[in-house]
Amino acid sequence: MTRTDEELVARSRSGDVDSFNQLIVRWERPIYALAYRVLGREEDARDVCQDTFLRAYRALPGFKGQAKFSSWLYRIALNLCRDWIRRQQRAPVSQMPEDIDPAELLAATEPTESIEDLVARREMSALVADAMQSLTEEQRTAIILKEYHGMTFQEIADMQGCPLSTVKTRLYQGLSQLRRQLERRGHGIHELVRRT
Amino acid sequence: MSETFECGDKGALVAYLYEECEPDVRAEIASHLTRCETCTSEIDGLGWTRKRLEAWTPNVPELGFQLPVPVMEQRLPWWRAPLPAWAQAAAALLIFGAGLSIGLTRGAVAPVTQPASTQVATAPASDGASRTDLAQLEQRLKAEMSQMRTAVAAPAPQRAVVDDDLMKKVEELVTQSEERQRREFTLRSVELARDIEAQRRIDLASVRETVGQFQGVTGTEIRQQREAIDRINNFIRVSQQGR
Repeated sequence: MTRTDEELVARSRSGDVDSFNQLIVRWERPIYALAYRVLGREEDARDVCQDTFLRAYRALPGFKGQAKFSSWLYRIALNLCRDWIRRQQRAPVSQMPEDIDPAELLAATEPTESIEDLVARREMSALVADAMQSLTEEQRTAIILKEYHGMTFQEIADMQGCPLSTVKTRLYQGLSQLRRQLERRGHGIHELVRRT
Repeated sequence: MSETFECGDKGALVAYLYEECEPDVRAEIASHLTRCETCTSEIDGLGWTRKRLEAWTPNVPELGFQLPVPVMEQRLPWWRAPLPAWAQAAAALLIFGAGLSIGLTRGAVAPVTQPASTQVATAPASDGASRTDLAQLEQRLKAEMSQMRTAVAAPAPQRAVVDDDLMKKVEELVTQSEERQRREFTLRSVELARDIEAQRRIDLASVRETVGQFQGVTGTEIRQQREAIDRINNFIRVSQQGR
C-alpha cells in the first residue's frame, strides 16, 4: 500500500525513520534535478540534495502541514541553492557544459534513439543550459519550476515570495531572453556542423 | 468578456501559453490570435522556446540517500532518560539529609552497638554525635555523592558503543557505495566494449564491402584492358599477315 506524503510525514514525526526514508526515495530525484538545473554541477547538486533532506528531517517538528510537503522541500532546496551560489560566488550554470563521457552517452541512449539523435539531444541540452546562464536567478528559477516541475503560477509565487504577476513577467522575460540566445547560438551550431 | 484581455498583455499571453487562465479569457485570446499577427508571433516564439527546453534533461545518477539511524534523536522512555541537573542536585540533598538524620538518630538511640565498619561507630557513644563525628559523616557523604556524580556523568562506555555502531554503519555505507560504483563502472565498461566491438564489426564489414567493390571494378577494368590489348595484337598480327 502506497502511503501519501502526509501520512509518511506524520509517521516520521513520531520517530519512524523508514517513513522518512520512503519520502527521500520519493523525492530525491526531483530535488536533485532542481538543484542540478539551478547550480549546474553534479557534485553540488548531490550535496544540496542530501543537505535538503537532512534539514527537512531536523525541521520536521516545525512543519505543521500548511503547505504541501513537496513545496516545503522545494523551498528548502532552493534556499540551499541560493546559499550555495552566494557562498561559491560564481555564476550558476556557467560550468554546465561538462565533458561528454562516451560511456555515459551509451548508458543514456533511449531504446528507440539512435546515437545521432542522442548526440543532437545532448547538444541542444548543453545549448539550453548555456543559454540559461544569461537569465537572472529569479527568471531561471521560475522557468525551472514551471517547465520541469509543473508548478502553478501561484505555487511559484509562494516559493519565490512575490506576486503572481511578477511570476508571469519573469517567465515571459526569461523565455524571450532564452529565445534570443538560442536563436543566436543555434545559428552557430549549424555553421559548425556545416564546417565539419 | 472584452475587458479581460488587451492586445499585447504579456501576463495574459504567458497564462494562455501555460493554459493557466480562465476558459472565457482563453477563448478570447484564442479568438484574438486569429486576427493579431504580433501576438500570434509572440505565442509561437514562446512555444518554440519551450520546445527547446525539453531537451535539457539532466542525467540523474543513482542517489540512494538514506537517513542514517544516528541522525535520529533517540527518544528514550522517561525512566531511562538522564535526570536533569536540578533533579540530580535535589536527589543528592535528599540523600545527604537522610544520611545526616540517620546518623544523628543512631547516635542518640543506639549508642552501644555500632557496626565496626563505620567511623561513626568508633565515636564515644555516651556523648551522642560530636562535631567531629558530624564533620566526618559529612565528608563521607560528600565523597559518596561525588562518586555517584562521576558515575552518572560518565556514560563514556555507552557513547563509545554508539560511536562504534555509527562508525560501523558509516563504513558499511561507504563499502556499499564503493561496491555499487564498482558494479556500475564494470557494467558501463562491458557495455562500452560491446558497443565498440559491434561498431568495429560494422566498420569492418563496410570496409570489406568497399574493398570488394573496388576489386570488382578494378578486375573488370583489367579484363577490359587485356581484351583491348588482345584485339590490338590480333589486328597487328592480321595486318602483318596481309602484307
